[in-house]
Amino acid sequence: MFKTTPTVKLMLHLANLMVIFFILLPVVAVFIGSIQSEKALQADTRRLLPLEFTLDNFTVILTKGEQKGRIFEQVTYLPDNIKNFYVAFANSTIVAISVTVLTLLFGSLSAYTLARLRYRWTLFLLQANIVARFVPVIVLMIPLYIVMRSVGQLNSLSGVIIAETGFLLPYAILILAPYFDTIPSELEEAARIDGCTRFTAFVRIVLPLATPALAACGVIMFIISWHELLIPLILNARPNFMTLPVVIASLVGDVHVFFNLMMAICLLALAPTVVLVALLQKYIVEGLSAGAVKG
Amino acid sequence: MNRARTPWFRREMSAGRFALVMNLPTLLCLGLVLAYPVGYAAYLSVHRVGLGQLRRGEFAFTGWENYGRVLEDPLFWVAIKNTLIFTVITVGSEIVLAVAIALLINQAGIWTSRITRFLILLPYAIPPICNGLIWSFLYSFQFGFLNRILFTAGLIDDPVNWAGNPDTALYAVTVPYIWRTLPFAIILVHAALQGIPRELYEQAAIDGANAWHRFRQITWPMLQQIIAIILILRTAFAFAVFEEILAITQGGPGDATWVAAWYSYKITFAPPNNFGMGSASAFILTLMIAAIALVYLRLIYRRVTL
Repeated sequence: MFKTTPTVKLMLHLANLMVIFFILLPVVAVFIGSIQSEKALQADTRRLLPLEFTLDNFTVILTKGEQKGRIFEQVTYLPDNIKNFYVAFANSTIVAISVTVLTLLFGSLSAYTLARLRYRWTLFLLQANIVARFVPVIVLMIPLYIVMRSVGQLNSLSGVIIAETGFLLPYAILILAPYFDTIPSELEEAARIDGCTRFTAFVRIVLPLATPALAACGVIMFIISWHELLIPLILNARPNFMTLPVVIASLVGDVHVFFNLMMAICLLALAPTVVLVALLQKYIVEGLSAGAVKG
Repeated sequence: MNRARTPWFRREMSAGRFALVMNLPTLLCLGLVLAYPVGYAAYLSVHRVGLGQLRRGEFAFTGWENYGRVLEDPLFWVAIKNTLIFTVITVGSEIVLAVAIALLINQAGIWTSRITRFLILLPYAIPPICNGLIWSFLYSFQFGFLNRILFTAGLIDDPVNWAGNPDTALYAVTVPYIWRTLPFAIILVHAALQGIPRELYEQAAIDGANAWHRFRQITWPMLQQIIAIILILRTAFAFAVFEEILAITQGGPGDATWVAAWYSYKITFAPPNNFGMGSASAFILTLMIAAIALVYLRLIYRRVTL
């Protein structure tokens, strides 16, 4: 929208550089923090890049604390949760994949009918979903903790999966519904003349056409459930059932854990979703705008 | 087809029943995990619920006592005040930055804009708790990365205690939150920008309008709707900020960064575990957010046909 005179061009380049710097600042910090030793970080508190780099932080996490490497040689205590990295990673994966599958399944069944069949109650349900998206997790967690405690579902992955599915389902519906709305209904009508029921027309005709929306919704659901902290934090206190964010949160305020180790485990935890975002950027952009605007 | 011999799953349902069956899982989920807990939270908020009561399974009805105790707690009002300041700063900065950056990445012929556009979604990939910890490393008084950068650049002589100073801590925690949630706002504004017909700008250029006039007359009016949507969504979510507070300050120093969600969390899950009061305070937060949600509903239903 600007005329690109050389001065304007230079200023726009500068503005871009500032934005890029701001975006990359924490990413550079987590990288540099994770490949240093505690000693290097503490020795010179003013140096940007210390003289020595090490991969020992990753080694100690990935070998469950068995191979301590040079920088942890003298360390006698390591938090158990650090040693639980693989279990937490597996738990996070199980939860995120289950929540993604369940929200896609229930969400597409629901979003399709809400977009196609207009009754007073379907419109009401759609609006209920919009309002439900706003419900803060904290107000759900107190009663859910008490309920799960009384039915013995504390410290289980299924409890977390159920809670997260319910919590994310409204958002999934809001992302999917506008897309189903854009698929012309003539296609299903033709299929039904050929003998399909409503349900088979949905499965055979509409769902294949909706793959981009399912991809967009699926990747967003995976990312949000991979990131979710409060639900597993409150429901799962035992190390065997912790997800990665819970393990990381447990290190906050632990005097035995220094920034280098924290940055290393953070980097391992954020890598999967960074890869997803890099690969599926287009779908995420579409899903985010669909879920906010057209709901 | 012979109806009697067709198995049930091949039989044609009426549209109404079909809609109901298709929505059963959703209704079940919404009822079980959203409606019921919200209702139960309301129930807990008017009963005395502590660890002892939980063990016995008997909650004594106390009426408005929990609400009264929450509203008389000075810490609660500090938390509300901090939440409001936090929300105003984060949402305000996000909208200004989102419009500016969306315009920047929409600009043709600037190659650095392409890099920005590619990187813009990166913060969306970072788990909030990791984001918080990374920034607590950045902010660290003695070992922090931010101070190292400023030392190296020669901008400061003594280390700055970004998150440990009660006067600056609340502002310090807004930056990571803005960093993490900005991509969402930029993407929405950018999508809206791309929906503005180019002819409008061409016509305005022929009429001799300068860049500021074109922004005021064309861009801004076309962005108002999406900005209202961002404003509402981001306000509602910023009200419930939690992870960054947990990772960076844990409410401190003192009570400088106690926010509403942190208050409910600490009252409930830290000793002496007052579930009743926690529910009452969480319920007050929910009512505030529900008011925002209703405004949103009205806004998008004024023009959307779905």
